[in-house]
Amino acid sequence: MNAQTFSNADLMRAEREIARKHIDRFPWMSVIWAFANFGVWLALWPLVFFAGLPLWIAFPIATLNLMLTYLPSHEAQHDIIAKPGSRLRWLNELVGHMSIIPLVLPYRVARLTHLEHHKNCNNPELDPDISTKAQGPLDAIWQSIKNRQPRAAAGYNAYGACLKRIGRPDAILDSVIYQIVFYGILFALAWSGYAIEAALLWWLPRHIAFTYIQYFLSWAPHHPGHSTERYGNTRSFRSILGNIGSMGMQYHIVHHLHPRIPLFRTGPAYWEMKPILEARGCDVEEL
Amino acid sequence: MLFVIKSIFYFGPLLFGIGFLAPLTTQTIAAMGWTPPFGLSPLLVGLIFGGAYGLVAQVRERWI
Repeated sequence: MNAQTFSNADLMRAEREIARKHIDRFPWMSVIWAFANFGVWLALWPLVFFAGLPLWIAFPIATLNLMLTYLPSHEAQHDIIAKPGSRLRWLNELVGHMSIIPLVLPYRVARLTHLEHHKNCNNPELDPDISTKAQGPLDAIWQSIKNRQPRAAAGYNAYGACLKRIGRPDAILDSVIYQIVFYGILFALAWSGYAIEAALLWWLPRHIAFTYIQYFLSWAPHHPGHSTERYGNTRSFRSILGNIGSMGMQYHIVHHLHPRIPLFRTGPAYWEMKPILEARGCDVEEL
Repeated sequence: MLFVIKSIFYFGPLLFGIGFLAPLTTQTIAAMGWTPPFGLSPLLVGLIFGGAYGLVAQVRERWI
């Protein structure tokens, strides 16, 4: 297909036809992923406390669990598991809430701010994730760490301002409750003699996971972050960790163009759409 | 109630230093089998380190 010779309307029609083939497929893998990942992380606690599982084994597993928390919820945030009013809507909401509990990220906050990210991608004033913008990979990691400092006005600390701006300050209460419960559990565990366990099963894995998630879901696909245009605000990229190691984010451009395509379909959709994306002038040179 | 919650969040770094870093330091010292200098107990070292680091983070508004 030589997409260069097609009109704007033809390109849009072809793009939508490809997207339609991949939308509305039940994301079994993401649902299984959500329950399995949450279950394994929960199981680590009794295994470490009562069954003698060494922390040097449990820590990398917990870190992997935390890194894997976000994407099933992300599917739910876009109603990919089940649309509002449908029979399995409860499952959509359950996955959305449950999978990011270990991240201490409330589902309502994640969903509301993420949808704002989609509406205002790369807009310096309105994109709640704009603070992940960085010069390069190392700067992106450093930026993520800086954004998590106590009085940082960026990163997740900026979500409060976003929620107020869109008229949903009520969701801030979710964050307050999550934070108090999280730190309450950490402090209680620590003063009961389980500080190292709490640090290596939750606190440190959570920080590593936030860095990883922000790097691959926020920074890498939107770098350099100059354009706010539909075909310019996201790119495809080749990760040294491969597609699995970057959690499918190499094809994130497809997600921004058609957010209801399930994660596991974005790869196939990308390769079908690639001539169209090239004709649109998208940054798809790396992949 | 709102005042209490805001105060808790305002003093977050200091509370984290005492509430988490102090026992974490204490238990790390014990796990490594280290003996603190000057006859200090591991708990006291933990409280000094966690409290001081928390206070510094509270004032500087960043941990690193």
